[in-house]
Amino acid sequence: MRREIRYGLSGLRRRPTAAVIGWSVPQTLPATISGIVVARAVDDGFGAGRPWTGAAWLAALLLAAVLGAVGGRMVFLRIGDLVEPFRDRLVRRVVGGSLSAAVAGEAKEGAVAQLTRQVEIVRDSYAGLIVAVRGFVVTSLGVTAGLMSLSPRLAMMILPPFFLGLLLFVATLGVSAARQRRAVRADERLADRAASVLAGTVDLSGCGGEVHGRSLVAGPIAEQARAERALAWVAALRSLCFVVGGWLPLIAVLAASGRLVEAGFSAGTITGGLLYILYGLQPALNSFISGVGGSGLRFVVTLGRILDSTGPPEPVRSAAAAPTAPPDLEARGLTFAYGPHSEPIVHNLDLRIPAGDHLAIVGASGIGKSTLAGLLCGLLPPDSGTVSVGGRDVAGLSPLELARFRVLIPQEAYVFAGTVRDNLAYLRPEAGPGQIASAVDAVGASDLVERIGGPAATVEPSELSAGERQQLALVRAHLSPAPICVLDEATCHLDPVAERRAEAAFAERPGTLIVIAHRTGSAERARRVLVLDGAAVGEREPAQIQPAS
Amino acid sequence: MRRNEPPERAALRVAESSGSGRGLSFGAAVARARRWLPLIGGSSVLGTLSMLALPLVLAETVDAAVAGRGVAAPMAAAAGLVIVSAACELVDAFAGAACTAATTAWLRRGMVRHVLALDPHRLRRFDTGDLTARVSANCADAARAGPAAVGAATGLLPSIGSLAMLAYLDWWLAAAFIAGLALVAVVLRVFTSRTTAAVAAYQRIQGAIAARLSEALAGRRTIAAAGTVERERHRVLAELPRLREHGVETWRVLAATGAQSALVGPLTTVGVLLAAGLALSSGRLSPGEMLASAQYAMSGAGIGALTGVFATLARSRAGVRRLSEVTGVPVAEYGELDLPDGDGRLEFRAVSVEGPLDGVDLILPGGTVAAVVGASGAGKSVLAELAAGLRAPDAGEVLLDGVPLRRLRREALRRAVAWAPERPVLVGATVADAIAPGRSPRPAARAADAHDFIRRLPRGYGTPLDQAPMSGGEAQRIGLARAWHAERLLVLDDATSSLDTVTERRIVDALTAPEAARTRLLVTHRAATAARAELVVWLEAGRVRAVGPHERLWAESPAYREVFA
Repeated sequence: MRREIRYGLSGLRRRPTAAVIGWSVPQTLPATISGIVVARAVDDGFGAGRPWTGAAWLAALLLAAVLGAVGGRMVFLRIGDLVEPFRDRLVRRVVGGSLSAAVAGEAKEGAVAQLTRQVEIVRDSYAGLIVAVRGFVVTSLGVTAGLMSLSPRLAMMILPPFFLGLLLFVATLGVSAARQRRAVRADERLADRAASVLAGTVDLSGCGGEVHGRSLVAGPIAEQARAERALAWVAALRSLCFVVGGWLPLIAVLAASGRLVEAGFSAGTITGGLLYILYGLQPALNSFISGVGGSGLRFVVTLGRILDSTGPPEPVRSAAAAPTAPPDLEARGLTFAYGPHSEPIVHNLDLRIPAGDHLAIVGASGIGKSTLAGLLCGLLPPDSGTVSVGGRDVAGLSPLELARFRVLIPQEAYVFAGTVRDNLAYLRPEAGPGQIASAVDAVGASDLVERIGGPAATVEPSELSAGERQQLALVRAHLSPAPICVLDEATCHLDPVAERRAEAAFAERPGTLIVIAHRTGSAERARRVLVLDGAAVGEREPAQIQPAS
Repeated sequence: MRRNEPPERAALRVAESSGSGRGLSFGAAVARARRWLPLIGGSSVLGTLSMLALPLVLAETVDAAVAGRGVAAPMAAAAGLVIVSAACELVDAFAGAACTAATTAWLRRGMVRHVLALDPHRLRRFDTGDLTARVSANCADAARAGPAAVGAATGLLPSIGSLAMLAYLDWWLAAAFIAGLALVAVVLRVFTSRTTAAVAAYQRIQGAIAARLSEALAGRRTIAAAGTVERERHRVLAELPRLREHGVETWRVLAATGAQSALVGPLTTVGVLLAAGLALSSGRLSPGEMLASAQYAMSGAGIGALTGVFATLARSRAGVRRLSEVTGVPVAEYGELDLPDGDGRLEFRAVSVEGPLDGVDLILPGGTVAAVVGASGAGKSVLAELAAGLRAPDAGEVLLDGVPLRRLRREALRRAVAWAPERPVLVGATVADAIAPGRSPRPAARAADAHDFIRRLPRGYGTPLDQAPMSGGEAQRIGLARAWHAERLLVLDDATSSLDTVTERRIVDALTAPEAARTRLLVTHRAATAARAELVVWLEAGRVRAVGPHERLWAESPAYREVFA
């Protein structure tokens, strides 16, 4: 909880914070002067047969209400200056963190939900928390001052139980936060499990797994109900704190009222004291408890989850100079497994791909073709062995340096909302219109680009088919200045004719071409073929490949 | 409701009997909470009454003290009222939450049970995310039906009571109070309409940022390879300044309306106090009663909280409606029969499914390996679903060893028949669990050629499903292993389409091996697979065009060869 509070405090920039606190003083004015005003209105005015004096005091209260409204307005205006930058910081962190994690190969499913839901919860609860805490602090200080000026003796009866209730509530916060966290986690587990079972409804029916499916969800449902009930106890505990802090002072004053009158207290003073409790302290404590117990806990729990799953943004390393000569790509003793106990997917592979080579990598599905591509491109760290490009170990190169040597186009083509030109020139931002046009033409995407509306038109990725997205990604790769080009099933959604044309364009492109494919045609067009067969890795000449019948 | 039946069953029965099979009703959701409702309603009414009585007692205490009378009696009464109302609050807080928790769990179990009991084709109009939202969010909303109904019934009590008490003290007080309330109502109206517009603009930009992020996440391999994370970060965040602008705007709206309501609340109180003060001057009220009138003015102004109660009520009604859309879909019906001895003879008698299939007659002797081929849209998948007992025919009968499939007990049917689809969705905690919950997954995994790649997973068979990276072909092999237990009929609906030819050949070898004997129905697009089957069922436009060995059909019919083009 400390980390989240520290993070929250770090968002309180000095000037807007001072403004918020400053404007809180007039905002809470009606509550802080109400007791004393009513006491005077009764004692000097209405009760003393001078109704005009009483009305004048009440007019003062009304004036305080106007000032309070102005203060409240300013508080909310300035609160945006605290909350919006805080939200910006979180958005940056979530976006940066999830992108870094994604390129490092840790797929995070919840990143988008985190951006839309969790960040919003933190934004709202941060505001709620600020409003509740500063409102409480300013009101209770004001009421204390008002009570002291009304009667110190009365204040000494009212304030101790009030602060005792406050303390009790603060003491319960640790337990509440733990239970709230448990409830949120139970909620998410339930949603995840329900989603996985509901997605497989047909499959469960088809294999007789309905009962198993029900039992898979039953656990998280029960756990969630338990977590909710645990929260119900917290709610009950909180009302108890309010009884101590809000009602005990009232009973104390009532119990002493006989003695107070004997000591010369007027009806107005006692009424004013009670009004301070009912009109000042009770609402302040109530909104503090519900604000901190509600917004505050949501803030701590949700912010904690965001902080857990994202790190602060990392510094960027600069790029090195472009390679001069077409580099060789070489793997030595390359071994990789997905886990310490699982069988290696690539085992002790030695492979040399000289500059200008055209290599096809084929093999059964699941044999590790994409894994090998990831290793050769320096995207996956090998368990042992090395990959070097132009004689330099890829492990020592930054992503930008690596990108100068090789381009990888994966099966899931990346097209983003932006102009066609931005999408195509992604790997060569300085490319001129002529260069782009000839790459588009070479890969066979002219019709597509024309249909979208030319290079200046905006692409809406969801309106393109998987094959069309692949065509744009292929143009992008073709245009890239990198001498080594790796196509990892990058043409799998194209029809055979379009695929042949695209591959021919890449074969003519200067440099090295590595094609990972499941269609035999790709292997037939290659100069050399690497067959992965699971047991060992062998290199054969294309002539030795038997086209599967 | 009958006693001694498990709660989920009761849920469905309520769902099906209320409103002529139209699903869960609001009344049923309220009725479920009936054990808790008297407690919640009672504590809420009692708490409100004691809060209404308290100002009068306080007034009496103050007046008694000022007049020099004994304060012990009214003091004790006030303390008693405080304790009662605090206790009621306590009960309310706990009972409401506990009731909602229990009802939510009950609704969720019922929903999951119902969905799993539906025929798949009836489920297609709900997508998974939507169903999940219904189970996770809408069930929780719907479960508030009971407490929300009670809240709506008792919610007006504090305001009406306060008004009545003000009128009882002095009718001028009531008049001043009503004038204040009218102002509150106006402010609330203005507030909702203006906030909605500001929030909508904010959410639109937020959605645009989220869309860019999810695009970039989907293209993570490209971005990783291109080393362009930094550029992507800027692209995704490009709209952030505009988000802040709209965010600030939402606070501005809030500030304006907040200020208005901050003015209206005290205005009402001051108005009532003024009326009370004048009454005090003229001797109609005591000082204590003036204090009481201020309190009634404040508690009566809490009428704004009532909009919250009605919002909860509306949400729970909407939740119930969303649930009833699902529970209103009739579940699959099964019979009471067991299978007689047999070897898996499958028979279609004049089977029709409106649209896809039209009068299919077919007999497959027990143990046959049969392929089903045809152009897309010919009805192959529907035929497979019928054979697997996943749907009932609209007309005609599907029989296994002489018994209509849907007259079997569900357990008997599922032991005898299993189905493997083209795109299996794997369900379970681990890979082993997804293949064969409660049994050893290895024999089935070996037969489906999945054993080797499973062993390469990070934790082998114990790998949690969400941590097991799997290609389409690998998932297909697990889907096949999962169905391998079928005793009499195994239905494969294009279940090897993502496999390379070598792997597929190995699996078809295992499928056609003599020790795997049972009837096998393979929907396929590949000629090589059809050639391995003893019989080919050739479908065309929902009818059986021909049945025979692949070689004969291939040799005799050019149209047949077209199917595989």
